[in-house]
Amino acid sequence: MIRKWFIALCCLLPLTGFAQDKVLHIYNWSEYLNPDLITAFEEQYDCRVKQDYFDSNEALYAKLKAGAGGYDLIFPSSYMVSIMAEQGMLQELNHDLIPNLKHIDRSFLKLTEDRDMKYSVQYMVGSTGIGYIDGRVEMDEPSWAIFANEEYAGRMTLLNDMREVIGAALKYLGYSLNTTDEAQLDEAAEVAIAWKKNIAKYESEQYKNGLVSLEFLVSQGYSGDVMQGMEENEDIAYVIPKEGTSLYSDDMAIPVGAENAELAHAFINFLHEPENAASNTDFVWYLCPNTASYEFLSEEVKEDPAVFLDPEVVAKSEVIRDLGEENAKYVKVWDRIKAAQ
Amino acid sequence: MADRTSERKQEWLISAPSMVWLTVLFLAPTLLVFAISFRPSTPFGGVGEGWTLQTIRELANPNYPAIIWRTVWLSLATTVICLGLAVPCAYFMARARARWKPVLLMLVIIPFWTNFLIRIFAWKVLLHPEGLVKKLLLAVGLVEPRDILMYNENAVLLVLVYSYLSFAILPIYAAAEKFDFSLLEAAMDLGATRLRAFLQVFLPGISRGLITAALVVFIPALGSYVIPDLMGGPSGEMIGNKIAQRVFVDRNLPHASALAAVLTLAVVVPMVAVIFLQRQKKPARAKEAGG
Repeated sequence: MIRKWFIALCCLLPLTGFAQDKVLHIYNWSEYLNPDLITAFEEQYDCRVKQDYFDSNEALYAKLKAGAGGYDLIFPSSYMVSIMAEQGMLQELNHDLIPNLKHIDRSFLKLTEDRDMKYSVQYMVGSTGIGYIDGRVEMDEPSWAIFANEEYAGRMTLLNDMREVIGAALKYLGYSLNTTDEAQLDEAAEVAIAWKKNIAKYESEQYKNGLVSLEFLVSQGYSGDVMQGMEENEDIAYVIPKEGTSLYSDDMAIPVGAENAELAHAFINFLHEPENAASNTDFVWYLCPNTASYEFLSEEVKEDPAVFLDPEVVAKSEVIRDLGEENAKYVKVWDRIKAAQ
Repeated sequence: MADRTSERKQEWLISAPSMVWLTVLFLAPTLLVFAISFRPSTPFGGVGEGWTLQTIRELANPNYPAIIWRTVWLSLATTVICLGLAVPCAYFMARARARWKPVLLMLVIIPFWTNFLIRIFAWKVLLHPEGLVKKLLLAVGLVEPRDILMYNENAVLLVLVYSYLSFAILPIYAAAEKFDFSLLEAAMDLGATRLRAFLQVFLPGISRGLITAALVVFIPALGSYVIPDLMGGPSGEMIGNKIAQRVFVDRNLPHASALAAVLTLAVVVPMVAVIFLQRQKKPARAKEAGG
């Protein structure tokens, strides 16, 4: 009898509590938002914020395309914003609800494709580079060639992302990382296959923990992720290869069918409140391109060349663009790289 | 006669809920997956109009045989190793004193109290290139300082066996529990060696448990995704990982569906074969019981 009651109680448990009505559902990259800001927003707007995570733009796109609804705010990279906008998956933003748009740093707008902010507002900008363990790895002249060095075989990772890996190989060869020239792609495939022999795995998320625990010594990674790792292991260093790399801007957008579009606008505005933007940059180590926020940044972040990119680096680097049907060429090369022994 | 028809009706009524459940949540989606593999794909990840055999032709991709071979090989090896370890475990559990049996059974089940992913990550800690296991093996001289214990096929196999071992032990134990161990003594009284008694009396006696165990290990192992993803290296992909790549990276649902259909067929064919074999055995056993 007691058992029956116990089971009944367990079934009822989820119904109690949490009776607040408004919930803002956001779909974001992991560890990409200062949790203190979420708490502050929840208090200020008397709502709850629920976060789900995706690990690649493609996963985000595939999920929404397959009909996953219920998200009020998403954080795709710029090239994905243009695809989604073209596919009619995004709502037009109401600029009246986001007065803080005036703070957006115009100099980083060139990293996004939606420069009028019709569908999206820039959230963070960053670079792809190389995270490594200082003292265990020699990195006199940062280059993508490090992945060909057998000295570190089995202790290096590349991102599990076809555009980033093939892109790095293309940059190494001096080509554009948006090329659709098959001869150049073939050449890049050979380079990537040579690198593959030395890497432990293709890894887009766990490389940060791997660097912290010394499981990996060299990882191709996103600037902010690697720098977050530095807080736990001060031997970690981040460099941008001399051949150039990919730069990106992750933007905020509201999908069609969002239940709380107004609250989502409020959240965008909240994140671009100068003090909030600064505390977010300090936390995630990417740069929130918000001019008014720069004065609130910690000294450490202000002086970090990986957060405030060197113009010389920017000149050599590119933004990954979606190639539409030409994408299939990259898929083919990626299949070949993955199958190579 | 009337009795029998009403019995039939009752049987149908009782099984109706599970039939409906399976039809709506299993059969229909599976057929949809099969259907989508005959649809064209669009560059933006949608499923196009009309029908095409293009995707089926693309399955001739020269990269696939290696992945399919790796998937089948790893799943078969997992099944064989799991059965090899589970039979002696189940044997000793079934022969243990009555008061120890629940304890042993608990020991098999307790790992399930920890989340599957956490247990896999625990393996990553154990096999860390500068971790405990590595240092021990180094001290004994079994590995070189540069050897990496993770991110290769052996690590995938190890964790697959670890993950599915309990699933193999439980059905074999259930069969061994019901086995009449005096038959072994009888066999030995009649001159059989221990080994022969084990092979020719015990193993056939628990054959149902063995078949169930083989199926519950082999089928999920074929569809592995997380374990090769976390433990496998750059060349460790199994079919499950390729399907994920087709959906998330390539935005090609028809192609993912075609691969999933191949996987489903690979699972269904051995299942049907087993059911067929068991059907054939049944009349023989009924005769035995009757005689």
